[in-house]
Amino acid sequence: MSETALRIRWRRRSRIRQTWRQPLAITGGVIVLAWIVLAVFAPLIAPDDPLAQVFPPAHGPSFHHLFGTDELGRDVFSRVLHGSRVTLPIALLLVGLAASIGGLVGAVAGYFRGPVDGVFMRSADLVFAFPPIILAMVVTAVLGRGLQNAALAIVVVAWPSYARVVRGLVLSVGDSEYVQAGRLLGASARRTLFRDVLPNVAGPVLVLATLDLANAILLLSGLSFLGLGAQPPAAEWGSMVAEGTQYFQWWWIGTFPGLAIFTVVLAFNFIGDSLRDIFDPKTAWRSEESAA
Amino acid sequence: MSLLEVEGLRVRLPTLHGLVPVVDGVSYAVEPGEVFGVAGESGSGKTMSMLALLGLLPAGAVVEGAIRFGGHDLLRLSRKRLRDVAGRELAMVFQDPLTSLHPMLSLGQQLTEHMRRHLGVDRRTAERRAVALLAEVRIPDPQSSLHAYPHQFSGGMRQRIAIAIALACRPRLLIADEPTTALDVTVQAGILRLLDRLRRENDLAVVLITHDVGVMSSIADRVSIFYGGRIVESGGRQEVLQRPRHPYTRALLDALPHPEAARDQPLVAIEGTPPSPARMPSGCAFHPRCPYALERCTQEIPALVSVNGRRLACPVDPLRTR
Amino acid sequence: MRRYDRRGLTTAPAALPETEIGARRRLRPSGGFLRFLLRRLAALVLLGVGITLVVFVLTQLVPSNAVATNLGEQAAGDPAAVTAFRRHYGLDKPLPLRYAIYLERLAQGDLGQSSLTHDAVTHDLGQFIPATAELALYSIVIATFFGLGFGVIAAMRRNRPADHVLRVVSLGGISMPTFWIALVALYVGFFRLGWFPGGERLEPGTDAPAHLTGLYTIDALVRGKWGLFAQALHHLILPALVLAAFNVSLLTRYTRSAVLEVVGNDFVRSARAKGLPEWLVVVRYILRAALPSIVTVLGLLFANVLTGAVLVEKIFSWPGVGQYAYQAAVNLDVPAIAGVSLFVAVVYITLNFVVDVLYGVIDPRIRIT
Repeated sequence: MSETALRIRWRRRSRIRQTWRQPLAITGGVIVLAWIVLAVFAPLIAPDDPLAQVFPPAHGPSFHHLFGTDELGRDVFSRVLHGSRVTLPIALLLVGLAASIGGLVGAVAGYFRGPVDGVFMRSADLVFAFPPIILAMVVTAVLGRGLQNAALAIVVVAWPSYARVVRGLVLSVGDSEYVQAGRLLGASARRTLFRDVLPNVAGPVLVLATLDLANAILLLSGLSFLGLGAQPPAAEWGSMVAEGTQYFQWWWIGTFPGLAIFTVVLAFNFIGDSLRDIFDPKTAWRSEESAA
Repeated sequence: MSLLEVEGLRVRLPTLHGLVPVVDGVSYAVEPGEVFGVAGESGSGKTMSMLALLGLLPAGAVVEGAIRFGGHDLLRLSRKRLRDVAGRELAMVFQDPLTSLHPMLSLGQQLTEHMRRHLGVDRRTAERRAVALLAEVRIPDPQSSLHAYPHQFSGGMRQRIAIAIALACRPRLLIADEPTTALDVTVQAGILRLLDRLRRENDLAVVLITHDVGVMSSIADRVSIFYGGRIVESGGRQEVLQRPRHPYTRALLDALPHPEAARDQPLVAIEGTPPSPARMPSGCAFHPRCPYALERCTQEIPALVSVNGRRLACPVDPLRTR
Repeated sequence: MRRYDRRGLTTAPAALPETEIGARRRLRPSGGFLRFLLRRLAALVLLGVGITLVVFVLTQLVPSNAVATNLGEQAAGDPAAVTAFRRHYGLDKPLPLRYAIYLERLAQGDLGQSSLTHDAVTHDLGQFIPATAELALYSIVIATFFGLGFGVIAAMRRNRPADHVLRVVSLGGISMPTFWIALVALYVGFFRLGWFPGGERLEPGTDAPAHLTGLYTIDALVRGKWGLFAQALHHLILPALVLAAFNVSLLTRYTRSAVLEVVGNDFVRSARAKGLPEWLVVVRYILRAALPSIVTVLGLLFANVLTGAVLVEKIFSWPGVGQYAYQAAVNLDVPAIAGVSLFVAVVYITLNFVVDVLYGVIDPRIRIT
């Protein structure tokens, strides 16, 4: 039993090392890090006030305005930089919230099983019955427009996947021989949960959360694009693209914020996909493995 | 003229340690209508040397030598031309009948698709022949079986179906790669007898690959013993199996239980493990496990030479009967 | 009769008959599949009821005063009118009773009245569904074609340059916001190059083909109006491609892993040994075996198309359900947004049910147990 546990722990450590050997993971990590730095220092880096309508409107990219100015004469570059201060923290927060709620629900359902499990999982099924954006739209409509409500709506949509994953893992880990053996040897329930179950759940949840960050950013900016999230004049990427669609002859107004969304989402997808490779090596993209 | 002539076949596979030879200079010939047995432990290169015939080796494999079959050198044929030979003149049956049939295609489809392609017959003709084939391999109710799927049959039945598929285009050579290994002992006998009958009725040559010398001894006319990617001994079944000269052949036979053996004669397992292709011992590949090994066995790779009507790759020849 | 070597006796006793006993199980679809079907159907119905509950509860939570939005400012100030209104709509009754009333209306096909269009929501949906259905259809066809193709290529060229390129490109595809692709596509395809129209289903002033299915391309074809068909298709292509981008990438990734699951199977080697041409091996043996697991993402594709439609229809002025949902959500048109979400969810779970059944149909091992 201890040997199995040992091997599992050993494998996990080497998995994390493997992640950083992958070029995609590194690329993603660098992009995310760069955006975090930009978000933190945006007020220092951004040349102009993102809300100040002081420049000649609708000028294309130039030396003074790298990304041009929008229809109201605001500097698009500064707005894109400041947009990261909106999107990144909210996305991190809401995914953290969704993972905590979903993880807790899943763990409770998987640990106690029976009717608790039934009630929790059926409600998860209900959420899964709606395409995410539709449910998020209804929830925002109910709560009222605004960035916070949009974020809450996404939490409502996002928690069930964690619940399902964690429940499944808790169930399977609980049934596995080494946990059973541990129980026989008199390990307490808490010990079982923290020593045996939690470490095995952490990996898949991490993968899910990373990929979910990408999805959450897409959904959040989508809701803002529709006018249900961030309200003008806030510098938010989705709503900036929405402005761009009204003046699409001035391509720079919508293109650059969209590009910002794209890079952040891509970076999280790169990291998440590399992580998944490691946890599911069967179909992995790797060069080390070959016919032998 | 021989039906199949393999000369100096060398197969190297890509691994973490670079290209590793799994078949290293193998030559043999198969005559029309005979059963040619190939025996050896797993990893001895017997399967790889057969997969090389039809270009079925894993990607990146490097093949050298010559394989003459039906007037062509199979190694020089284009992929497209090779596919015309495959299944038509040279057919294969694989080890595990549970996985070698497509689970979602009906027997009718799997029996007729290559017939229609190779022989250019229409569907009705192909299906008629498929029914006859299924009857020939003793599948009950062949007509309705055409619409059945593999999972509805037992392992032994599936191997019969696989044989029927292989024989559909009336090939001249059938390569059976461990056709009985995955089956129950009682079922094994049936398959062997089936193969034996089919080859007599259809003028078919069979290459029977197995790690079970017992299986081979029951129907093979001539046998070759593989070890470490090379042939160590070959010749008529009687000679090789009843009077083995190579220490490995001898060890292989000693590891086999047989009812007529003296009661006090113990079963002897071969000591050590088969060599890994990546770390082949120097000299004779068998020397680390050979009780008769001499100093020279560790240095020079013994050549396969003709000795009294058989071929033997052991210059020490400790089992020579005087 | 063959003679047996002494040593051969272990495996081939001559006494055994050639045919083995215990032939094959009979060819009869057992109750397994039917029971599976019924169980899934029951789950579907339960889920459907659950959906109505969710939608109902959500509509009840809407802070916007139903009285005010429906009666207008003046009448809302009149207590008698308000009471009458509340009674008329059953708003004075307890929640469970209201849910019962809601269900009863639903059973009669009444989704309420849109406060924006002042039409029945079912009528509105009827108007808008065909446009989205047509867009979704073309987009899913495009996505399936390219997604399967790219996925197979990536798997067959595993770990070679093509595979790596497809991995990065497909990750890019699922990372681009759909509304942004739409913007860029419109800017390039319409504004810069002028190759595509800038939105709508037909040129302004063109009459739609006589209503049959509501899908213009199909209706035009049925009526033999080639010009109209070409025009409808021309308008469709750009939004359909934009909508397909995400799904192509998704399907590429699913197909790749599904194909890798089966490509190492013995039956693939058997197929090659039979001398089948490589394309046949790939299509009939590899893809066929991978299909059941690929089919499971069909529901996901639909959900994605719908998500995309909400965003893309706005940009392409496409008069579909997505536009309707967007307008309803922005204007707090509660009956409309409730109706749309109910409709979409029901279609979605039904589709997932169909996928489950399809899975059984595709794989004979499940069909006949």
